Amino acid sequence: MKDSFKITIPSHPKFLSIVRSITSKIGEIYGINETIVNDLKLAVDEACTNIIRHAYKGDTTKKIILKYKLSPIQITVILEDNGIKADINKLKGRNLDDIKPGGLGIHFIKRVFDVFMLDEKKKKGNRLILIKHLK
Amino acid sequence: MKTEIIEIKGNKKLKITGDIDMHTSPELREILLSLIKNSRNQCVCVDFSDVTYIDSSGIATFVEGLKAIRTSGSRLFFYGLPENIMEIFRFSRLDRVFEIYRTFEDAFGI
Repeated sequence: MKDSFKITIPSHPKFLSIVRSITSKIGEIYGINETIVNDLKLAVDEACTNIIRHAYKGDTTKKIILKYKLSPIQITVILEDNGIKADINKLKGRNLDDIKPGGLGIHFIKRVFDVFMLDEKKKKGNRLILIKHLK
Repeated sequence: MKTEIIEIKGNKKLKITGDIDMHTSPELREILLSLIKNSRNQCVCVDFSDVTYIDSSGIATFVEGLKAIRTSGSRLFFYGLPENIMEIFRFSRLDRVFEIYRTFEDAFGI
């Protein structure tokens, strides 16, 4: 069994709570462990935050597309934007021992998702592919 | 997110309720930094017991608060962190940087 669906949200931070609610509900529907659901919720939120902050430079009038693909063995979340292209080599969080504001979002994404990949084929904007193996 | 400031024995308690994220953290930043600025030689304690969510924007706000408190001669501490919030501080290795207590009384050794 494989389910998939897509949602589009405006690039305004006030819509992040909707993304979190959807991710939580998915966890509930698919019987995913609560700890993993909390980590997924944070990771997807951080990925959207990065799009708003870096790809759209705070422009709240753009769009973020989230595609969820679910199967008993993995959950895939694909995030698309039409903003400034990200450089995969620069997508590194700060050293966790270097205490300063910022630089944690990437760590929160990579700690739960097994695959963190930028689709180089997307011509305009970014397509971030995140996969979490469930078994 | 809702915030409430309560004065207890000359110290300021900031109670936060709800989600701290990219949308709500700018408001929290303003409140926290203003509280620190006006709390010379006092304690600023943050009650996390009704915080339901925190992301990296929220964490960054408190790191900024920590830097501000170090120059103010005051003390910043947290208490009542739910396990899911505590886990984020642990993962970020910030549990070693912030003063975190189970209860308000623990923080003052009451």
